Amino acid sequence: MMNSSRTVACALLAALLSAAPVAQNHDHHDHKHEQGGADAMHQDHSDHADHDHSTPSDHTTEASNPTGNGDAHAVLTHTDDIHAALEKGGEPIVADVMGVVCDFCALAMNKIFSKREEIAAVYVDLDTKALNLVLVPGATLSDETIEELAVQAGYRVAAVRRGAQALGNAS
Amino acid sequence: MRGYLRLILLPSLFCSAVTARPVSYTGGWTIIEESDRQSSSALVHYTPAPSWSIGLRTEVNRDNDYAIYSVHPTLLAKRWFGKDYQGNLYFHGGIGVASGVYGNPLRDETAVYGGIMADWETRSLFAGYRSRYLDAGHFGDQFMHAARVGYAPYEGDSGDLHTWLMLEIDHRPAEEVPITATPLVRLFKGPLLLEVGYNLTVNQPLLNFTYRF
Repeated sequence: MMNSSRTVACALLAALLSAAPVAQNHDHHDHKHEQGGADAMHQDHSDHADHDHSTPSDHTTEASNPTGNGDAHAVLTHTDDIHAALEKGGEPIVADVMGVVCDFCALAMNKIFSKREEIAAVYVDLDTKALNLVLVPGATLSDETIEELAVQAGYRVAAVRRGAQALGNAS
Repeated sequence: MRGYLRLILLPSLFCSAVTARPVSYTGGWTIIEESDRQSSSALVHYTPAPSWSIGLRTEVNRDNDYAIYSVHPTLLAKRWFGKDYQGNLYFHGGIGVASGVYGNPLRDETAVYGGIMADWETRSLFAGYRSRYLDAGHFGDQFMHAARVGYAPYEGDSGDLHTWLMLEIDHRPAEEVPITATPLVRLFKGPLLLEVGYNLTVNQPLLNFTYRF
């Protein structure tokens, strides 16, 4: 009995050690790759200049979906760091992230994204399930790179918005 | 060799964490301490890729006076994403040395164990399951499984203190009292997770702690 149970346990362990890399659920999903114009973006920054940015959620709103399908998109959450980076002229980016339900999720993305030199400020908003980024002025970060970094953190990006759309001011 | 292994693993006894997210982000380290009605354990693991982690684990079985020092891989077999939820299926296991403690004269033995963990959670609801089969040679074999449900009375944002009220039911068929119930409180803030509970069936405390960095 003992030998057979040990055999079963060894088999389980061997299966675990030899298992293929994780098959995360990568069902097809829409990616929005809209690029906000620089002029519009800097206009948006000035719109926020006289606001109180003492709490992260002061400026968290959901903008109407331009497609008119009834969904709402998260817009940039303004923390002190986010606001300071915007003031310096960095590009704002908001990425909707699937499965963000706890502080460990937020911690993982903060750790992964804050290592990138292109990123001046990062904040994960659990209320809007969005990753908020502001780039270093002049820096670029592709949607594909953002998606790959999210995967490294263990999550999946559903949509990326930039510039005026990230700020909720797109017409 | 076994003495060297113990020397490496011993510091983990003085650290702590829980099985919330047993695989971290790429490059992340996690320290997990768990203490339940039968054993206390400490695990330090590193995540090379978001699909798996590898760690060193020490477990002391207080009922049977032996300790296990093991290498402990965990595989994230599947993660389900939703806008408002996340589900995970993990396989975990380990191989190492079982050794007598507290005066237990039995000679060292090879120990192997394996099992599954699964969880599903939103920001206010949690359900989880874990199982494990352990074979520690002449120290004995053991099967256990446990299910847990939880509710967060409020939804905290990033960096806030998150509070969960949970109930765990565990089943250990070989034990004198096979089924027990443990209500617990989970407190979660940034990289820290603390669980404090009390097994009402056998009057034993539960204390779990996780630190992720």
